[in-house]
Amino acid sequence: MIAQQIINAVSLGGVYALLALGLAIVFSIVGLINFAHGELMTLSGYALLAALVFGLPFPAAVLVAVSCGALAAVAMERVAFRPMRGASVTSLLLTSFAVSSLLKVVFQNGISARPQPVAMPGWMTGAFSFGDFTIGVGPSISIVVSALALIALELFLRRTVTGTAMRAAAEDFNVVRLMGIPASRIIATAFLLSGLLAGLAAMLWVAQRASVDPLMGFTPVLKAFIAAVVGGLGSLPGAVAGGFLLGIIEVLLQATLPAAVAPYRDAIVLSGVIAVLLVRPQGLIPAVRVQRS
Amino acid sequence: MPKLYRLHRAALYAAVFGMTLALVSKASAEEIIIGAATAQTGGLAPYDQPALAGLRMALDELNAKGGLGGQYIAKLIIKDTRSDTAQTATVAQELIDAGAKIMITPCDADPSISAGQLTQPLGIPTLTLCGSAPVLTAAVGDVMFGTYPADNVQATAVANFAIAEGKKKVYLLTSPDSTYTANLPEYFGKVFEKKGGAVVGRGTFTMGQPDFSAEITNIKSLADQPDLIMTAAYEPDFPAFIQQLRGAGVTVPVYGADAIGTPTVKGLGKLVDGVVYTAAGYAEPGSKLEAFNTAFAKYAGHAPESTYEVNGYEIGLILDQAVKTAGSDDPKAIRDAIAGLKDFDGITGKITYAGTDRMPLRPVALMRYEGGEGKHIQTMIPDAADVPAP
Repeated sequence: MIAQQIINAVSLGGVYALLALGLAIVFSIVGLINFAHGELMTLSGYALLAALVFGLPFPAAVLVAVSCGALAAVAMERVAFRPMRGASVTSLLLTSFAVSSLLKVVFQNGISARPQPVAMPGWMTGAFSFGDFTIGVGPSISIVVSALALIALELFLRRTVTGTAMRAAAEDFNVVRLMGIPASRIIATAFLLSGLLAGLAAMLWVAQRASVDPLMGFTPVLKAFIAAVVGGLGSLPGAVAGGFLLGIIEVLLQATLPAAVAPYRDAIVLSGVIAVLLVRPQGLIPAVRVQRS
Repeated sequence: MPKLYRLHRAALYAAVFGMTLALVSKASAEEIIIGAATAQTGGLAPYDQPALAGLRMALDELNAKGGLGGQYIAKLIIKDTRSDTAQTATVAQELIDAGAKIMITPCDADPSISAGQLTQPLGIPTLTLCGSAPVLTAAVGDVMFGTYPADNVQATAVANFAIAEGKKKVYLLTSPDSTYTANLPEYFGKVFEKKGGAVVGRGTFTMGQPDFSAEITNIKSLADQPDLIMTAAYEPDFPAFIQQLRGAGVTVPVYGADAIGTPTVKGLGKLVDGVVYTAAGYAEPGSKLEAFNTAFAKYAGHAPESTYEVNGYEIGLILDQAVKTAGSDDPKAIRDAIAGLKDFDGITGKITYAGTDRMPLRPVALMRYEGGEGKHIQTMIPDAADVPAP
């Protein structure tokens, strides 16, 4: 049972890590906490649904959905955030809230206020057994996909020119521009990556929840924000660490708290976050430059 | 602005306002205003909107025949609560100010209570669209009426069925976040235990919680495995729970209540095979409900999604009967008339308020999902002696 709970924790932590990473990439470059990140997930979810309705085979539908998330992120930057470039952190934050609310209303009125069922293929609800315990296919996929995405992102940031430029931009954007790297390209890439991560996270999220609804982005973006803050805002390794930590704490509390205390789970988790921040105000793994712009 | 213009403008405003006032008071001589503080957006919208569509259809039909009680043209004013309890109170106040003599509130206890606290001192009869928590009416007072079969009645029907099926052990999954999700499974537990069953475990979840894996692992590791899991979780939590439950290899049947009788849950297909839920009625061939479903499809352009539509329609019929009995548009007389209804012929069966604490006595239909369809099991009115106190 303990082994089982550890798998549950890693699986949830992986999804949180992907989400937090999506927020952190954008924050590290432009100093924006994009609260519309959750709506990128919702959009990918609806894209998956639409692709399935149009009869695409499941893998192709997933591909379409993830690309939609990435493209939507780039479009969001172009439409909403580029005109705000250089604005204060607060203005950017408010802009992201505005984009988020706007998209929620569009989804509610344009599609439906009712959650739409997404029938996952039968093998996703399967499980395989190792002696005493069974591992569900869903959680296994979550773990594998999160791990692969984290490794791929790491390779991209370490081994490519754009990746190197992005890491440099996170430390000092002006110097990077003086080196002749166009700012727009760096920023667009940051959004593209964050959209890709949102799309992937959305697929794992929908696979576990079997429905898409207009408000589904709210909880994940909140969790991602908490994870990113605990990890150290703007720090990519910090976001991953924060995501896993949050996932592990949530599952452990859910598994062990007695029924009478269980409703206070979220309060206990958030108290834990405060405790971590009291000891390490800059987060677990602080960013090289904590506050930009 | 020069002072002269300001005076002119004030005079103009006064004139226009005066004219509007005259028009309104003239029109309202034969009108009765029904205020609907209901969710058009947010989590309750998928429940409030179908119910409201049914009510609208009833009022349109009644208005074509001369209005409520054949006397008062019903004017429905709808305001969005955004599924928020505080916002519900705000719009309820606006509706009262607009002259509402009857108030319709959302499909949940908490916002209904917040609206009821405003209508109670004024004696305005207040009906929840499909809020089913039996504590709801007592929490407000004598103006508050439920319309849907109450949670304890539904839970008794499901528990009777589970016992009759030979089920012995149940696991209760609740959420303290709403009256419905917190209490309904516990009512089930009470009846189930009284009739010889046992509650072998309890778990809780937070509404909107992303992950049920820890809870599911706890269920799997119970020494005494349950024969069924009873929950009042609804969308999007219910699909998430059952997806993850089946994904973890647990095949124990899951039973719920009315809130999972929706197209979303039905659309989950094989995943929800065997799930038992309740409805306000079942459209047998030749029944009044079947005729209603056909008429509704013509009215709205799509078939009813659930029995919330017919429940909303029946609210219209109840109001019509109450105004007829009261013989006036006085809110207090209408309230008394609703409270005195006995064996009123609705679409789904007989509806009685007399002798209840304003949660109606009415039939409950038990349904089961099979192959992506809701199949009717049976319709019953549970024995009042079996129904646990709220």
